[in-house]
Amino acid sequence: MKALDNVSISFEKGEVHALVGENGAGKSTFIKTISGAIRPTSGSIVINGKEYTHLEPSQAIEMGVAVVYQEMIQMEAMTVADNIFMGMPDGFVLDDKARYEKTREILKKFDSDIEPTCLIRELSMANRQIVELAKAIVKNARIIIMDEPTASITMAEQQKLYKLVKTLKADGVTVIYISHRLEELFEICDRVSVLRDGQYVTTINIGDTDKDGLIAYMVGRELQETYPPKKPASKDVVLEVEHLTGNGVKDISFVLHRGEILGFAGLVGAGRTELMSVIYGAAKRESGAVKMNGKEIHPTSPADAMAAGIGLIPEDRKYQGCFLDKPIFWNISISNLKNLSRNLVMDTKREMEIAEDYKEKLRIKTPGLFQTAGGLSGGNQQKVVIAKVLAANPEILIFDEPTRGIDVGARHEIYTLMNELAEQGKSIIMVSSDMEELLGMSERIIVLHEGKMTGELCKEEFSQEVVLKKASGL
Amino acid sequence: MQNKKSIGRFFADWSMVILLIALIVIFSVMSPSFLTSLNISNILVQNVHVAVCTTAVFIIMVSGGCDLSIGYQVSVAAVLCTKLLSLGLVSVPVAVVLAIVVCALLGSFNGIMTLVLRSNAMIVTLGTMAIFQGISYLISGSKTFHNLPKPFMYIGQGKIGGVVPINVIIMIAIVAIAIFLLTKTSLGRKVYAAGDNPEAARLAGLDVARIKVLSFTVAGALVGISAILLASRSGSADSGTGAGIEFTGITACVLSGVALKGGEGTLWKAIVAVYVLGVLANGMQLINLGTYPQYIAKGAIMLFSLYLSNREAQTA
Repeated sequence: MKALDNVSISFEKGEVHALVGENGAGKSTFIKTISGAIRPTSGSIVINGKEYTHLEPSQAIEMGVAVVYQEMIQMEAMTVADNIFMGMPDGFVLDDKARYEKTREILKKFDSDIEPTCLIRELSMANRQIVELAKAIVKNARIIIMDEPTASITMAEQQKLYKLVKTLKADGVTVIYISHRLEELFEICDRVSVLRDGQYVTTINIGDTDKDGLIAYMVGRELQETYPPKKPASKDVVLEVEHLTGNGVKDISFVLHRGEILGFAGLVGAGRTELMSVIYGAAKRESGAVKMNGKEIHPTSPADAMAAGIGLIPEDRKYQGCFLDKPIFWNISISNLKNLSRNLVMDTKREMEIAEDYKEKLRIKTPGLFQTAGGLSGGNQQKVVIAKVLAANPEILIFDEPTRGIDVGARHEIYTLMNELAEQGKSIIMVSSDMEELLGMSERIIVLHEGKMTGELCKEEFSQEVVLKKASGL
Repeated sequence: MQNKKSIGRFFADWSMVILLIALIVIFSVMSPSFLTSLNISNILVQNVHVAVCTTAVFIIMVSGGCDLSIGYQVSVAAVLCTKLLSLGLVSVPVAVVLAIVVCALLGSFNGIMTLVLRSNAMIVTLGTMAIFQGISYLISGSKTFHNLPKPFMYIGQGKIGGVVPINVIIMIAIVAIAIFLLTKTSLGRKVYAAGDNPEAARLAGLDVARIKVLSFTVAGALVGISAILLASRSGSADSGTGAGIEFTGITACVLSGVALKGGEGTLWKAIVAVYVLGVLANGMQLINLGTYPQYIAKGAIMLFSLYLSNREAQTA
């Protein structure tokens, strides 16, 4: 699959042009080609009539392209002025006074009273964004790409940002605006382009459409992949979550049945992983209750949650799931040490037997159990993580992005495995950003938006439009 | 390719042993007094406390920590127990237990401070090092303590049957127990896991904080033992006793392939590395290499052994 396939979009001078699409539609890849972070395999970039097959990052800057990333890369311990003038030609001895003066001048343009001598780490997220924009202005940027600028700032700050964007526009700057918040596009954008699965869908004037129209463009794909069949879940409730609040999520309530696969949908930053962290005891619960088999549990650490019978297959396989430079058997044992040792001494024979057993059951493809986990393919690494969690014998399994970065064949194996586990009576929560996977694997789907629950769908109600609508907070 | 890789691995696994043998051969040829039973016994005995300290350093490094204060932990324990002994205030067993307990407490203090301050262990122990140094000088009043009781000196100087040094046996026993704990028990497994990937370890249900504090504490107890071995062998102690020993320990660990980030390392290799450094120092003295050339030779050998132990990474 290509991250970006034959996409052509033109941007006009002085327009605010939104770029929308689902998770993985190719927005990031698109902006990376414009900013020179990656080279396209074919096609060209034309800026003011000059054609390039690809841009180097330095070229992009020279051409006036600047990107304000969601995760701003700034020198936290340096001043606002230092950051703004970073990389600008300067004399050997810095003229601080002149730089402060110039910084003030630029910031005034944005109606901002940030002190040039302030350290970056003392600023709010919104003010950091202003600094980032000022950095672009100093470099004389004519094309400014903003990646999810409102994702981490408050409502009041959003208004300030919108004003800023309008100031840029009035100066004839082209703003490419990427956002999951469809409502704000209608406030500040002129045109909007839609991407889907790396393909260009359309470009329309924002006045000619509405949110529903946009969503229809964003989905509108046929489900291709087939999913292995699964027996329906029982009616027994295993897990009840009641008004759970904490770690950025608010008032979440749902139930999980024995043998069920319950999907969690949401856009990036909706709080799905954060919610799972609270349930798993890895993050702090503020209020609300988690009940397992009718009994309240309050895990304050992952160890507690595991003792209660909850297992987590984390989102980041390489850094949270695996010990990459340790052998496979070692990885499989690490959550099960108590059962594998007597008076502290490891029962190596049993350890190897159990690891071998999981290798067979989960069809982990490896020359041997002494191989390091880091040497395995993504799919097999994921199986090792699943084996590790299963070895602790949980009743509930939380799969956070179970197939991220895993190739199609291995994906199917993971799906089959999840179904088998559910049919054996395990209950599964699946957080996924892959719409097809969510619709294909789940029996019910819960949708989150900005930390709140915005919907619960049963199989009959499943559709990409509905999920995306609820995920967008509509 | 496969062949090349296995040669690389062979060197990585055995680099310390190869280096030790090479040094022994070289010094035997260059100096007739090197390969004598007296000299070999001297090298063994003189590095016993270093080996025990290195075991402590090893445990802390594998758990993902670092301890620069070990030298002054030795110093505190050594002056405390020799002062009390020379004044005749406590019996030998009490002095020994006291040294071990005090160092275990100092170690756990380091571990807890690292957690509480949420800071890098190296920086935290840079601070506690100064505190321990101050405590040591307060105890000693810059005096040296002699006149230690015979039974105490016997720990460091006695020989079973007039042949086998007691302190060497103690060291071997401690290293053997540590190897067993680190490689054959669930506790050891947890220590490696906490150092290798603390986040994954936490999510796998391990109490990483407790494991780290425990590592510091156990290492502290070993440091206490090391202090007793050193003081009882030299027959005296002052506040300079043990200072800087952590660097020898860290050097030995790093030479033997202990990962600075934690989670990786083999203890017996680190102990062999201690004796590589010991033989090097002894041999260079015997062949009358000047002090400054000795520095250069030591540095060159360190770089060379790093090359040997990194071959695996290069060829893998």
